[in-house]
Amino acid sequence: MTDDKNHKTCFHCALPVPTGCELTVQIDEEQRPVCCPGCKAVAELIRDTGLTRYYDLRDAPEPGVGRPPEEAAEWRVFDSPEMLDAFTESHDNMREATIYVGGMYCSACSWLIETTLDKQPGIKSAEVNPITHRLRLRFPAEDASLSGYLATLTDLGYQPQPLSPESTVRPEVTEQRTALKRLLVASLGMMQVMMFAVGLYSMDFQGIDPDMQHFLRLVSFFVTTPVVFYAARPFFTSAWRGVVGRKPGMDLPVSIAVGSAYIASVYATFTRGEAVWFDSVTMFVFFLTLGRFLEMRARHRSIDRSAALSSLLPNTATRIDGEAHVVVPVSQLTRGDRVLIRAGEPIPADGILATGTTSIDEALLTGEARPQTKVVGDELSAGSINLDSMIEMSVTSTGSDTTLGTISRLSERARYARPAFVTLADKIASYIVVALLVVATGVATFWYFADPDRAFVITLSVLVVTCPCALALATPAAFAAAGSRLSQLRLLVTNGNAIEALSRATLAVFDKTGTLTMGMPRITAVFVTDNAWTEKDSRVIAAALEHASTHPLARAFAVPDDLPAVTSHDIVVGQGVSGMIDGREWRLGNAAFVGGAAAEDSTATHVFLGVDGNVVAWFELEDEVRPDAGQTLDTVRQLGIATALVSGDNRVAVESVAAQLAINDVHYECTPEDKLAIIEAAQKRGETVVMIGDGINDAPVLAGADTSIAPAHGALLAQTSADIIMLGDSLSPLTTAVEMSRKTMRIVRQNLAWAIVYNALALPLAAAGYVPPWAAAIGMSASSLIVVLNALRLNRFE
Amino acid sequence: MSILYVLIPLALLLLAGAVWVFFWAVGSGQFDDLDTPAMRIVMDDDTKPDEEDKP
Repeated sequence: MTDDKNHKTCFHCALPVPTGCELTVQIDEEQRPVCCPGCKAVAELIRDTGLTRYYDLRDAPEPGVGRPPEEAAEWRVFDSPEMLDAFTESHDNMREATIYVGGMYCSACSWLIETTLDKQPGIKSAEVNPITHRLRLRFPAEDASLSGYLATLTDLGYQPQPLSPESTVRPEVTEQRTALKRLLVASLGMMQVMMFAVGLYSMDFQGIDPDMQHFLRLVSFFVTTPVVFYAARPFFTSAWRGVVGRKPGMDLPVSIAVGSAYIASVYATFTRGEAVWFDSVTMFVFFLTLGRFLEMRARHRSIDRSAALSSLLPNTATRIDGEAHVVVPVSQLTRGDRVLIRAGEPIPADGILATGTTSIDEALLTGEARPQTKVVGDELSAGSINLDSMIEMSVTSTGSDTTLGTISRLSERARYARPAFVTLADKIASYIVVALLVVATGVATFWYFADPDRAFVITLSVLVVTCPCALALATPAAFAAAGSRLSQLRLLVTNGNAIEALSRATLAVFDKTGTLTMGMPRITAVFVTDNAWTEKDSRVIAAALEHASTHPLARAFAVPDDLPAVTSHDIVVGQGVSGMIDGREWRLGNAAFVGGAAAEDSTATHVFLGVDGNVVAWFELEDEVRPDAGQTLDTVRQLGIATALVSGDNRVAVESVAAQLAINDVHYECTPEDKLAIIEAAQKRGETVVMIGDGINDAPVLAGADTSIAPAHGALLAQTSADIIMLGDSLSPLTTAVEMSRKTMRIVRQNLAWAIVYNALALPLAAAGYVPPWAAAIGMSASSLIVVLNALRLNRFE
Repeated sequence: MSILYVLIPLALLLLAGAVWVFFWAVGSGQFDDLDTPAMRIVMDDDTKPDEEDKP
């Protein structure tokens, strides 16, 4: 879809290749297009070190990831003894550094990093943890060249950030380790107990040596005990929490089944009773532990955005101590410090602009692509980029107290909250638990009077055979399978309920800028007014003038040709850029700055190019509609979902986009409150609303809709309130998400129906005493297996 | 059949040993990365344009 002539994507970073860019890299005997000299250099480095397999084995990259920064970072400060002490630990002549590696997104990245660093002289070991994106480097203390290693990482297109040594292990690592141990105990325990169970069952048929039977039961008891008390402990604690909080969840029937079957089996073992169910207990615990483990892995794999946030801050800041400028680690900044920020540098902390006037790119925080002009006294937020000129800032808050830190904490909290996968099942569970206990008590009472000898065995058969594990697994197994398949299809589900709501969606509400459009202006037309110059000349000169500019519009001008040298280059805030080329003064900017007439009324932005005060050409820049938007919206409508466009932009711009995409329900000049009101009105009409938006002003709307989807390139706050994040730079995953959600809910309904039918059939049989305990155990396991296998069909969804 | 009274406890001892070793391995961080090793086996045979490795 993106491989047609107009929209080639970069082989390395998957960003669209700018029109006219002819840069290529030869890899595997083929010329691959790349988008910029930086990507070309990285790809060549990877090729020349013999690591091209990286490109075969990596997952599809998120566009822009791996694109090297335009300017090489200054790492040399990290070689000073103070910085080495601050960022490394020494053990017997070795130093150990922990480095956060921004921009890595799959295991192929960690392989690339480890292999490349291992080839560096001096490195003792390099280990990357792909979960936490942390690299641990060990190198000799004498000839430490931390800066060299950091530069290598930068050369590979990653954004390294040395971290102060961490005393504690990251929580997700601890969680995974504990879960692995529980899973191993449950699986080994199950295998052993199954083996003994085969012996016990075959003895049932072939005649029993009572001593051997007793011995095998005792052994099973020894093996099952750790499975119940160690591997199944999370179920008991969570069930207990449910009881205390008067919200009995699925873990309660699970705990009752495991607990009662275990206690009854222990009782039968020591009283030489009729039957034991150790095999059922361990198998049950194993399946549930496995389900939880897979769900946890899916949760961890959803990209560690909170850690990525901290990498948006620079490592060092220039502090003004009286007359002197000192480069210090950002962690040493305190309230009241004055820092110097050059053009193009990120703001290291929250603060107040003290001297200078500049424009700031706050896209990271607000999703707003247009730069904001700041004057003395304005607040600056950490993580935004200073675009135009050198400023001084007085620091008001640092680190986790900054706005960026707050967002980071919010998203961290959201990530650790267990996804609400099981609400539907939980609702049913509360009733089932009560019903089960009532039925079991009734059965026990009846048999106590009818046939006291069989009462206990029959009651247990009822409990085991109706054990709601098929019901317990029906929804989470389907959601877990759907979540893992969707993440392969480049959709991250952060809230399991989203799948359910999305399957019922009747109205899709889109934001315009950045969602339906590219969010980044492109040159749509060039008008040359002076015949002495061609269109190509004016493009090249404009590119040369904008080359050093960090203004967001500047990227629209980039051309790959050799650019003429620009001298006495100057940026005038809010006006444009100027510079000398071949002895003549060129200007690029708004009409007044260049000396032209202001453009008539239009949706497009006009930029003028002039030489020595005369206009030579003007460029029309427009935010284009995404190439796949039209087709995606058609498919969405075919799926029976109405489309609406809600934007804060002006009428002309919004209606032009709506007309191109055949959207009839259009709202323009909306504030976030208006947007929310529109959605609430639709919900009152009985519509289920899915909101697709990327800006910070969409955040409340995203939270208010039944389901919300945010593209991964939008504002971080929008992503933290979205239920599903679309990776990649296209809209088409949206239809995949809708189709997948419908398929998932179909599977969930099949599973629930099966579980209920099974229980409805098995319960009367067991209550009547027709089901021997071993058949009850097999029935229970088989019914859960069917549910899990049915859910796994979702993995084959295309 | 009485040999089972010896063999099964022996098997359980081995099992306990295996669990202990696994717990130690998890604790030492060997299982923190469950994805990369699966790739490494595919990747290490890679062609190197020049065969010079680090000294």
